[in-house]
Amino acid sequence: MLKKTQGNRAKKAWKIMMVLSIVLLGMIVFSISWGTITVPWEDTLAIIGQHVPVISGYFPSVNAEFQAVVWNIRLPRVLVGVLVGAALGVSGAVMQGVFGNPLADPGIIGVSGGASFGAVVAIALGLTSFSIFIMPMFALVGALAAVSATVFLSMSRGKIPVMTLLLSGVAVSMLMGALTSGILTLMNEYRVREYLFWVVGGLDYRRWEHVYLAVGPILIGLIVLCLLARHLNVLVLGEQEARSVGVPVVALRLLLLFVAAATTAMAVCVSGTIGFVGLIVPHIMRIIVGPEHRWLLPSSALAGALFLVFCDTLGRMIFPPNEIRVGIMTALLGAPYFLYLLRKTQQSGGNS
Amino acid sequence: MTQEIITVRNTSIVLGEKKILENITCSISAGEFVGIIGPNGAGKSTLLLALRGFVPLAAGEVQLGGRPITTLSDKELARHVAYMQQEVNVGFGYTALEVVLTGRYPYLKWWQHEQAEDKAIAHQYMEFTGVEALADKPVHLMSGGEKQRVLLAKVLAQETPLIFLDEPTASLDLVYQEEIFRYCQLISKQGKTILIVAHDLKLAAKFCSRLLLLAENKMIADGPPEKVITKENLQAAYGLHAAVFMNKVTGNLDIHTYAADDDNPNKDTKVHIICGGGSGERIIRLLYERGYRLTLGVIQPGDADANVAEAFHLPCLLGQPFSSIDEPSAQENRRKISAADWVVLSDLTFGEQNIDNLQAAFMAKKLIVIEDTPIEKRDFLNGQASDLYAKLVEMPQVTVMAFLQFITLLEKN
Repeated sequence: MLKKTQGNRAKKAWKIMMVLSIVLLGMIVFSISWGTITVPWEDTLAIIGQHVPVISGYFPSVNAEFQAVVWNIRLPRVLVGVLVGAALGVSGAVMQGVFGNPLADPGIIGVSGGASFGAVVAIALGLTSFSIFIMPMFALVGALAAVSATVFLSMSRGKIPVMTLLLSGVAVSMLMGALTSGILTLMNEYRVREYLFWVVGGLDYRRWEHVYLAVGPILIGLIVLCLLARHLNVLVLGEQEARSVGVPVVALRLLLLFVAAATTAMAVCVSGTIGFVGLIVPHIMRIIVGPEHRWLLPSSALAGALFLVFCDTLGRMIFPPNEIRVGIMTALLGAPYFLYLLRKTQQSGGNS
Repeated sequence: MTQEIITVRNTSIVLGEKKILENITCSISAGEFVGIIGPNGAGKSTLLLALRGFVPLAAGEVQLGGRPITTLSDKELARHVAYMQQEVNVGFGYTALEVVLTGRYPYLKWWQHEQAEDKAIAHQYMEFTGVEALADKPVHLMSGGEKQRVLLAKVLAQETPLIFLDEPTASLDLVYQEEIFRYCQLISKQGKTILIVAHDLKLAAKFCSRLLLLAENKMIADGPPEKVITKENLQAAYGLHAAVFMNKVTGNLDIHTYAADDDNPNKDTKVHIICGGGSGERIIRLLYERGYRLTLGVIQPGDADANVAEAFHLPCLLGQPFSSIDEPSAQENRRKISAADWVVLSDLTFGEQNIDNLQAAFMAKKLIVIEDTPIEKRDFLNGQASDLYAKLVEMPQVTVMAFLQFITLLEKN
């Protein structure tokens, strides 16, 4: 009977992931179809279908305007949203596991600060006009440099105490913030606007190039993190516990930190900084599917993607034709919900 | 022939600038249940950590199963030793089964998931520690006792020949403390070797087959409980004044501790106590704790007072059971009485066997007679004892008082 309930938990997790996938697909189709130019959903499906090899011949042709809107504007935007949402959701869950703290987030060890600094350097040098890849590349380098600095600062005698790591993260983030502000004060107004546009994350004007840039690294990152999920389970029980069953704690922690940071940095590269996804999505999924990371990570990926596409679509629907950028939407929806969760946890005294 | 499973040679441990342990040497054989005891800060937990390879050695060597610990890989170590730490915080709502399954980690390749066999092992040990019914309950919602039993099951699921436990009973109720020790004893009888850091000396003495006593960074005693828990060792390790004795009721080693001044003013005062039938227990304890040099006599073997005297390791004249005091004992008793600075005659009952004690009391230089019950009620010799008693209390060197007055008198001194 007991083994059955254990099986039930796995079954429940499967069911939730199935439901999330179906809702996500629906959300994607809805998000692509809806807008100033509304495309009927069967046309949307037909346009996408025409681009899939082998079955492309079976779909009816659709008018060229719809083609352009769906294929060139809305689909890449949604795909970037899916990738970024999945990356942020999984990285958040991993960071929370590594730090053993449900409030941890990739931003906490300097990922966002470093990425912003990298971006502002690219803008200040005036390199952004050469290629759309320049700024994301600078952001990625900045993020990884910041994380490396954080880890290096907190490492002592082959160990990384979690508390020191968090404090180093705060220090590095503040330093990056100061450098960013310093450069911003020296730049002309046009460039400051460019930076502002990037720092408030958004999915507008995302093109296929952005998808190509992000898809490989993010998918690899997600797969690696999901493969390490069982090890993360042990790590979450505490350093001593993990070491006593033979986990190479320092190596595993470093690997998880860097993969999660790189995945987040890739997401930040193509969308700018988007808050709260990495915090809220794992939190909710932990309540629904439980803390077992082999279920938690894939479902956080699906839920993160769903949440981000949902927020982006909502942002487009409120004051058409104006948009509320997705970074603002996630914060608007996320912050109150997060505070509500915190209060609820406090009242019940639980620590889920 | 038992197999030597842990060898510790001249091991020292230094953490930062601080010397934690110095020159520890011992060897432990398979199947032993070893308790590591000692005062706080003596290095008990550090020793356990060092034996698991969690802290580096400043000098010396630790071998597990004949191999130096430094040559073993993380996973090999985890297949040798299961380690249960003092405080485990199981956050995020992991269930008991999920926690116990982490014990199977050392047997899995990095890409593998737990197999059916691992799950069966986890369930088997959860059944053993009685938490099978809680398999799907989140550990952070459990009571302290349940949680420790889940963690014990996890440690067992690691299926190692060695099991290290660092104060597993620290935050538990009395019943659960003993339960954990009982499980350990059972496991050690199945051939596993257990090292446990224990706070409670009585529990350690009751269950462990061997004790290591650490104090001030050194190992000051190593051996079976009755050899390690002695008055002298406890004094040296804890600075504790204690009497160690076999508790006749429980059959276990027991410890009676008391506070005493180190420069005790009474250590040269010789006091002889005439008692029997339990009438002397309180008096003995009171005077012993104040550091007087006590002698007792003559008491029947097996008498309650004799047991107390034995517990405190006091010289006590014992007569023959169920017979009158014999001549040599009577003589010795009188010698002791005359030699004593003062003598206490307890509120004892007089009969054929011990009437000589009353006779002997006349020899005292100074005699305190404790009287809470009138002598008539304690006289089983049809007035013979009462007459003698009446004569005794007339003597100038004799003071009669109730036990409470006696306490007050001692307080004043």
